[in-house]
Amino acid sequence: MKKSAFPRLTLIGTVLASSSLLIILQMVHIQNSSKHQELSEQADEDYSYAIENYSPERGNIYDRWGRLMAGNEDVYEVGVMLEYVTHPAIIAQTLEGINDLSYDQIYDVAAQTYDAENSIYAVITDFLPSGVIDVLSDIKADYEEENPYGSDEDLPSLRGIIWSSHLKRSYPENSLASNVLGFYSYRDRQEGLGYYGVEEYYDDLLAGNPMDTFMPRNPYLLEGLPEVPEGASLVLTIDREIQAMVENKLDEAIKEYEAESGTVIVMDPKSGEILAMATQPRVNLNQYWEYEDEFKDKTPFNRAVSETYEPGSVFKVLTMAAAFDAGVVDEETEYYDSGRFEYGGSTILNWDRRGHGEQTMQGCMQKSLNVCLAWVATELGKEDFYKYMQAFGIGQRTSIDLGGEEIWPLSVPGDSDWYPVQLATNSFGQGVAITPIQLATAISAVANEGKMMKPHVLKAIIQDGKQYNTTPQVLGVPIKAETAETMSDMLVKSLENESSLALVPGYSIAGKTGTAEIPVEGEYSIDLTNASFVGWGPAEDPQFLVYVWIEKPGISPWGSVVAAPLFSDIVKDLVVYLDIPPEDDQLNLVAKEG
Amino acid sequence: MAKKRKQAYKQAPWRRQLRSVGMSLMPVIALAVVVSIYLIISAEAAAAGLEIMEMHYEEEDILRIIANHRTELAWKTSYTTMKERAEEAGYEAASEETVHFMTIPGYQGQNTALLAVMPENENKLGPIVNEYYQQSLWDWLYSTFLTTSSTSGASQ
Repeated sequence: MKKSAFPRLTLIGTVLASSSLLIILQMVHIQNSSKHQELSEQADEDYSYAIENYSPERGNIYDRWGRLMAGNEDVYEVGVMLEYVTHPAIIAQTLEGINDLSYDQIYDVAAQTYDAENSIYAVITDFLPSGVIDVLSDIKADYEEENPYGSDEDLPSLRGIIWSSHLKRSYPENSLASNVLGFYSYRDRQEGLGYYGVEEYYDDLLAGNPMDTFMPRNPYLLEGLPEVPEGASLVLTIDREIQAMVENKLDEAIKEYEAESGTVIVMDPKSGEILAMATQPRVNLNQYWEYEDEFKDKTPFNRAVSETYEPGSVFKVLTMAAAFDAGVVDEETEYYDSGRFEYGGSTILNWDRRGHGEQTMQGCMQKSLNVCLAWVATELGKEDFYKYMQAFGIGQRTSIDLGGEEIWPLSVPGDSDWYPVQLATNSFGQGVAITPIQLATAISAVANEGKMMKPHVLKAIIQDGKQYNTTPQVLGVPIKAETAETMSDMLVKSLENESSLALVPGYSIAGKTGTAEIPVEGEYSIDLTNASFVGWGPAEDPQFLVYVWIEKPGISPWGSVVAAPLFSDIVKDLVVYLDIPPEDDQLNLVAKEG
Repeated sequence: MAKKRKQAYKQAPWRRQLRSVGMSLMPVIALAVVVSIYLIISAEAAAAGLEIMEMHYEEEDILRIIANHRTELAWKTSYTTMKERAEEAGYEAASEETVHFMTIPGYQGQNTALLAVMPENENKLGPIVNEYYQQSLWDWLYSTFLTTSSTSGASQ
């Protein structure tokens, strides 16, 4: 028995060794085959990696207190894998009515012929909320229970329907601040873009960097995956509550004054931060594709930055500030207003076509005398006048971080379209066109000790888990601090002396009304005006600057009647939102602290 | 006699054969062990790779769910909704005539949104893992004995 074990073991060993040797030889043969290299490369190329197109989540937009103004929500695309569709009619019946789709529309998609090369999957609809998918999932499960895998062709089946989720842009505040936010065309999933406002201006930042990533199919190669950074989120300077309050009051005013439109800007003159920017029309950003119905006849998306117009008397603040700063006039300067001023071959008249006699500069501003301001501009001289206007940024972009800022170039001496009479007319805001944001920025220099801050809506950027706050920038210093103080005092007294409707009890407000006639067929018409008011307060330590522009008011053409009360209404609420106590209370509080 | 003694101590032939077979199979067994270990490690690496892939998709899902919840919350706390809720609860907007101001010592007012860490504060958080758990044995020996001895040597 023991003797016979050797031959058998030898035999088994020989067989196993030979088999192993043959296997090894075959492996070596395959490895060194002439086709091996070619096949290996082809396999690597075709099957080792899958290219996945990755679009990072679009960044969120928040107001200054961190309230979400634009975010992303989960929605679903529903389609059919044509290879597995057995009952297109059942699919059409089940999905009929979803996203307003008809039976025929769905049937046509589901009944397409499967073609492994060209037609594998077909989209039925997109952007369905999760609730609809939950219901659809239950229905599909019921069918599947009755007819697993659609194996019985006589029984109905929803086999072939699939859905996949993705994010879409969502605006929880609907139309609130729509003119500032702009919109993202999320319905175009491949080439969506930001349009207007913040969405357009910061589109690159918000979108992040969509990229193609190589996803290894071989799990051995999956040591890590490329990190695709998501889009940056933005914190705006806009205050949602102030924005809503301003929009509501503006809407009421436009209705009450039977105006065509209106615009209000609320900014912090010390930093240039825009706290609110309201205009009409507005659009529900969740239905952005309807905006063309709202913005007809080239109506700008945001009048505050995109519509230029002749500002009228509010411009006198700049003329007078320039004259004071240059030392051409002072508080003691007097001017006899005869009601007419001949200059450049034309006659300048006051708004009431009357003369007002002996006037100080305070009186000229209080009564808003065109004749006086034209005289002041001529005293200043054309060189200095336009030098100051350029320093105030007239005719230049403010570079506010919103899409679509427009300008109207300022004609200056030497230009082919400049005539001497323009020195006189420009002084009271005629023959010169600006956007509301340009004027608010220019006049903010008077409210902020001569410093003009760059207007902006971006407070911070959140990227890669860090928050980067922006720093206010000085746009220029067109006038001296003393001049700014003198002008503020003058404008406070002007409002108080005329018992302006812009006044807010308990607060010192500096401001100026404006009524600019609109030219119709080459002639200025008093029936069509741009009524405006710009004011700031508290005058001693300005916390806000509010610019109001009512376009073509129906019940009264005057800024003092339609724009000034709206200013007052807004400021009465604004002081509550900004925690600004009345001046008497401030004194009491200081006394108590002391 | 000598031949007989030698025969008496000699291994049985079948034992010698088994030993030689065993010796020749040793490398095969060793190779099999190595291959087994290699296969186990490879399988674990593949499983880890697949897990990474699954976690990648899971991460995408979670991020989408977070974004969705954030937006859902924003809808529920939007201006219009909150205003309606406040009015239903009997609140009304305070006007400038009804507001009374008072000084609250130390209160600096509401701070604007801070939704992520500021870059300059990044290092103030400190390491999450205690430094003792980040030391290698060599680091510990060096810091405990070598640094101490060299320092004490220097002081002498």
